[in-house]
Amino acid sequence: MIQPPSLLDRWTQENNDLVSKCKQDALNRDHNLFGQRRCSSDFHKLLRKIQGIPPHLDHAQLELSVVYNTCVFFTARSQFEEAELLLTQGAQRVLQITGVDPGSSDPSVLWRAALKSVATTALHCHVLSLLCLQWGIWLTKSCLNSIKEFREEMSSLLERQGGAAWDDCRSESKEKIPNIPSLVLDPRRLVELLKICTAIVQGAERLNEGWSTLSALQAASALPAPRGLIAYTHLLSGSCLTHMNRPQMALLCYRKALETDSRCVCALYQSMLIYRQLENSHAEIQALRLLHSTLLLPSTTEPAVAPSHPLSPSLFLCSQSLSRLISVPSALSVLHSLALKCVIHGRISEGVEYYLDLLAAIHSEDQHQAHATVSTLPKLPKLYLEAGAALLTARRPADCMALCDEVISTTLDLVPEKVLLEDPEDGCVARSRGVKEEAESGLEWLLWAAAAYLLQGHCYSQLKDWQQAVTFYTRCVNLLVKVHYKNRGFPPQVPSPDKEQGIDLCVLQRLKGLSLAGRGISFAQIDRLREALRDLQLSLQALPEGVSAGQWCGEVLWRLNRKQEAAACWENTWSHSNTSLAEGLPVYTQELQSGPMLDSTELHRKLQELGSI
Amino acid sequence: MEKLSSEDSHRKAHSLSHGGKMVLFTCKRDPAVDGSERSGLTFRSFYFEREGNAFLKATGGAASISRKLSVHVDIVTCKCAVDVQKRVKTPSILVTKKSEKGASFQYSLFTLSSSHQLEPRIEFKLPYQMKGKVCILQGPTVLWSHHNSVLYTSPLAEGVRKIPIQTPRWVFGELPIHKGQLFALGLSEPLSINQPPTIGYFLEDGQVFDGSLILPHPYICITQCMQVLTADRVDDVLRCAVIAATSKQQLVLFENGMVKDTCELPFEQAEDIQTVDTGRNGCLFVVFFKPGHVCAVWKETLQIASCWSDVSSVHVDDFLGCGTEQMLLLFRNQGLSREPLEKFLITDLCGISYSCGQGSEAPKTSPPQENSLLTLQALESRLQSGLIVLQELEREVRVKDRVLQQSIQVLTEMLSGRETVLSQPEQEGLVALWDGDEEFNDETLDDKMHETPVLSSKPKIDKLWHRITEDQLVVGLILTAESSIPVSGVSLSLLTEPGQSSMPEVIQTQSQVFWLPARSPSTPTLSSSSPAAKRSKQHIASNDLKACRLAVTAATKLAPLLTSGCVKCHAMLHYMEKSETSFPGSSPTTAALHCGEVSVDIRDLRQNPLLQTPHIKTDEVREDLLSLLTVLDHWVLHIDSPDYSLGDIDDWIQRRQGFKKIEVSPEYLLLFSPGPSAPMLLRWNQINPFQGNLSIHSSQLQMLQFLDSMLTYLPDSCFVQPVKCTRSQSTAQEFASALEKEVLSLREGLSSLLCGKDEEERNKGGTGQGEVPKPGSTEELIRCTREVWQQNVERSRARLSPLVDAGKYREIIQSISKVKMDADLAAVRQTQMTLIS
Repeated sequence: MIQPPSLLDRWTQENNDLVSKCKQDALNRDHNLFGQRRCSSDFHKLLRKIQGIPPHLDHAQLELSVVYNTCVFFTARSQFEEAELLLTQGAQRVLQITGVDPGSSDPSVLWRAALKSVATTALHCHVLSLLCLQWGIWLTKSCLNSIKEFREEMSSLLERQGGAAWDDCRSESKEKIPNIPSLVLDPRRLVELLKICTAIVQGAERLNEGWSTLSALQAASALPAPRGLIAYTHLLSGSCLTHMNRPQMALLCYRKALETDSRCVCALYQSMLIYRQLENSHAEIQALRLLHSTLLLPSTTEPAVAPSHPLSPSLFLCSQSLSRLISVPSALSVLHSLALKCVIHGRISEGVEYYLDLLAAIHSEDQHQAHATVSTLPKLPKLYLEAGAALLTARRPADCMALCDEVISTTLDLVPEKVLLEDPEDGCVARSRGVKEEAESGLEWLLWAAAAYLLQGHCYSQLKDWQQAVTFYTRCVNLLVKVHYKNRGFPPQVPSPDKEQGIDLCVLQRLKGLSLAGRGISFAQIDRLREALRDLQLSLQALPEGVSAGQWCGEVLWRLNRKQEAAACWENTWSHSNTSLAEGLPVYTQELQSGPMLDSTELHRKLQELGSI
Repeated sequence: MEKLSSEDSHRKAHSLSHGGKMVLFTCKRDPAVDGSERSGLTFRSFYFEREGNAFLKATGGAASISRKLSVHVDIVTCKCAVDVQKRVKTPSILVTKKSEKGASFQYSLFTLSSSHQLEPRIEFKLPYQMKGKVCILQGPTVLWSHHNSVLYTSPLAEGVRKIPIQTPRWVFGELPIHKGQLFALGLSEPLSINQPPTIGYFLEDGQVFDGSLILPHPYICITQCMQVLTADRVDDVLRCAVIAATSKQQLVLFENGMVKDTCELPFEQAEDIQTVDTGRNGCLFVVFFKPGHVCAVWKETLQIASCWSDVSSVHVDDFLGCGTEQMLLLFRNQGLSREPLEKFLITDLCGISYSCGQGSEAPKTSPPQENSLLTLQALESRLQSGLIVLQELEREVRVKDRVLQQSIQVLTEMLSGRETVLSQPEQEGLVALWDGDEEFNDETLDDKMHETPVLSSKPKIDKLWHRITEDQLVVGLILTAESSIPVSGVSLSLLTEPGQSSMPEVIQTQSQVFWLPARSPSTPTLSSSSPAAKRSKQHIASNDLKACRLAVTAATKLAPLLTSGCVKCHAMLHYMEKSETSFPGSSPTTAALHCGEVSVDIRDLRQNPLLQTPHIKTDEVREDLLSLLTVLDHWVLHIDSPDYSLGDIDDWIQRRQGFKKIEVSPEYLLLFSPGPSAPMLLRWNQINPFQGNLSIHSSQLQMLQFLDSMLTYLPDSCFVQPVKCTRSQSTAQEFASALEKEVLSLREGLSSLLCGKDEEERNKGGTGQGEVPKPGSTEELIRCTREVWQQNVERSRARLSPLVDAGKYREIIQSISKVKMDADLAAVRQTQMTLIS
């Protein structure tokens, strides 16, 4: 009778066949997910066969190799629990072979005992590579403490044996058994990946620790690693420097990150944030523009993974503080901030173009319904109104009116007959949530419609069609008076804009002030001075810092020959004239300087005249 | 205690299935008052009635065992086994009688005949009680183990027999071969080397065989129960399929001694495996576990089909009489009801299901599991492939959208007269927010520094030295730092002593130029990234200008020098000199400078201090280094890894065995092991984290060995390109010789072609001339001269546009084009060199 091949040879052969098959699969990129699934189940099946017999020294090398291969695929498919179970079992079986009782089921005790028990044998590097996988799983679970506990041991082991550790174990095993169980991933590559990923995650967790973190990150940037991860180390160095209040050095780091990997758009985004913080609006707009065009490139969305590597770095980079840092808003919201920044910083024509691009992009996306990223953007009517305000400032009233028509046609039907506003302090408790939300959305629609009317009024006054202007300003005012306050006799003069409703109230006040001012100015243009005076004074009541209302109020008073009052009014206006736009409020609630202007030198001259009399 | 257990065994009726019926055996031991009542064995058989969903009694009977009341009778086990004599499967039952004193145990094996009679077949006495597993196999043969040995008996065996092998662990079984073969498997003694690790023993003929053909060695100890599914002898080789349940909670399928498949079992302590043939739907393995669990596993896929608990026994037979087999699960009676077949389930998991007494549990008719599994798998794979197609489509759509959007954007921008900011492909790698011009300025500054214009005329010589390294004489010259001459034209040559011959002769040498300390190639992209680095770089550059010295070496073979008796040589330095009134475009003139003489002494061969003590910083060590650099073959490899950074290569090299830093020139690493192998010098020069240059000075074999080990360290996706290799012949020399060869072969080929033609002609002409015109007739003479003249005319015409032999021509052209190709290759190599370096 013929001697059958030994189980060991047969299983080793099976393992090696599987490894070469998996490597072949990995080259065929499209079916990667599918292939990984099959590989992991095949390896697991083989492992079950091998672990179906009592642990034995002769089989240990093969068994540990198969445990390693199986766990690599389990990890690749994010089956961390299963992988960890197998790893623990592997360590336990090693201890059974060596006859050591760890005395505790604590994983760190277990691993230490396992490493110690095989310290001088060929199994050492196998156990070490299993521990590396365990390290990876700890990393995915952000168990940085466990990693820290082992880090010194690991690094000393890896250092001492150096790169030669794995070579050694290979050559040793070569002598013993003719066919060596092959591995699906070189443990050295795994260690390299884990080292840099650990450094990145730790860096992200300790951004506020200053120099120590920074030097750790600098050291990590010299590690052998995929390009994208090296870029992350520079990115984190930058963030660390930002925390240390060194924005210029941070900018250099971000630049280095981009130089290392052009796909690292988050570095661009972070530098934009720094420019914003430094109030360097020119650079900020530049950065936003670059960011937007980079985000439109096809290569930015796909992650960079080496094709033959089953483990993607993103498996290990799941810490929250890190993902906060590397997340970048969608191309559309970048475009929106770009447009808004341009408008705010007076680059009107650019801003208008960006707004039009943005609306076109949203429109085309609506048709394709490809993305759900629009949610980070402001709501559509608000965008329309912002774009309208920009168009108006760019003296394109016809386009602005078209946009406003669009807003009015969509919102007007939804505006309720009456909006009852609670005192924000006690209102939340009193009413059920649903009703409150309904009221809020009602208020929102109302404010949009009113703002649209206001902008249209501005348009007509720009066209010097004063009659029409009066009509639209009146519509705006009529809408605004539908809002009633409960519990309070009088609305708050300057509501704090820190709450959501606070902003709404503030917008309401400003709209009221601006629409009345607009109507007053229009009346003044057609010489209906009494109505003009009434509206302008009401406007100043609602919005005391309104510049044009103040100026025109004085002008009307002057024309009515109430010169002293006019002078007082002007003085008052100039005393708190800050023309900068308030950041927190929508653009369309700002004074746009689009209507008829009064020459302030003329006014000063008049004042002097009055004074000289 | 004993009473209780006997009571227990009494209640737990032993049962088996036979011919579609259930047979129940009980030991009747009526404690009636009447002393004449005998202890006996009774049996009852039941058949299943579908309409009533119940088992009905078919027959019954009894056999007496002992007349004595005091005798304790117990059923050991019962099983259906093939009766070899009658060649039918018969129910067999083993009973034990324990004598009053407990000194001996009497065993009897009964079989149930077709006429429903219990017949005693074997009776034997043992001095001990059977413990552990007792098997009834074909024969009927009773098999048990006692004290590491296996004993068996059968009607043919005449008494109890013992297998002549002792091992602590035994597995029994039977091979389903036409003539059944009973076997026992055991572990061989650990010391016996010649024997296979697993011993098999055939009971019939006492033959010993390699048991690992049935069960591999590691499984013997952990097998709890097994069944041989198929067995066959092909050319005296046993081929078999075996299913076994192990103590590792696995069901393992073996084929020819190899593990084919495994299945994790949910329970421990497997006791028995049976096979259910459900007909078209395939086979099931039914595993019974001691605590009362049952697990059914599909044979094809080795997937668990179903599990039950609280089962007292499992039987496989065609209870319904439908042609396929079902399993019958008898559940434990919770109540004290005496009726044994009250709670049961008959099923084949493929549509047949009858149950009774299972509480609220409705009779379930489960669809074939396997089919649904297959459907599920098919659906899943379709879903997967659909998903992939969908993802591809989505990606395409996205790309299209983006292209469309970009084009629209460009269009609108064109219409609105704005400048297009979009996506030149170069912009994809966009990096800098502001690009300073400083870099450019820097580089020009650098360039200027490299080629510092010559102001002083003569280079000043610091030191002239010589070494005998390997089999070569190296003469070196170190110039002072002040002497700034362009590196490009510097070389050193050696002349023989003029006293030997009338004229000094030039010795063939190879000259090289080095910077001291060694300069690294400028790396503007890396160092310009931060202002700090920029400052430091300028600092280095200015250092360069002051402290960098130039070393020129010349190497020549030692042997010819010594044979020619030359012991003294003169060293001449050649360099480019730019005249001070030079205008752009004027070619620099070469100048030569006599630098002194060296005397060569063969006894001068001392140990190289560098190799012994690389950590010492002396001029001697530096000279050693320079001579090694001159003598050793030199390769420069460009290593580029676009996706994966290289890490600390320097550190890696230093961690390798035997590499030491050279203190005089710390960028070089030295590997020297005392022995025949030559020393090796390495220099790693990192350009950026992803690129670097590696210079290797060593023998070719060493270089290849080092590269091989380095490739295992380098990332997979990296490219290694040779940039420069100065072995004994430089590319320039190769190119020159190739050109020379081309010219020569062209000349030779042409001349041979034409000469051959000429010779032919001459021969022809010779014969023509040999034809002496006959004197006599002038007309003849005139005719002759005309012919000769005509011939001459034709010959001269042919010489002007010669006709050559086509075959020869083709041959020559072929050889010339070959030579030309070689020259072209050499030219390409040369241009690459000059471009890169």
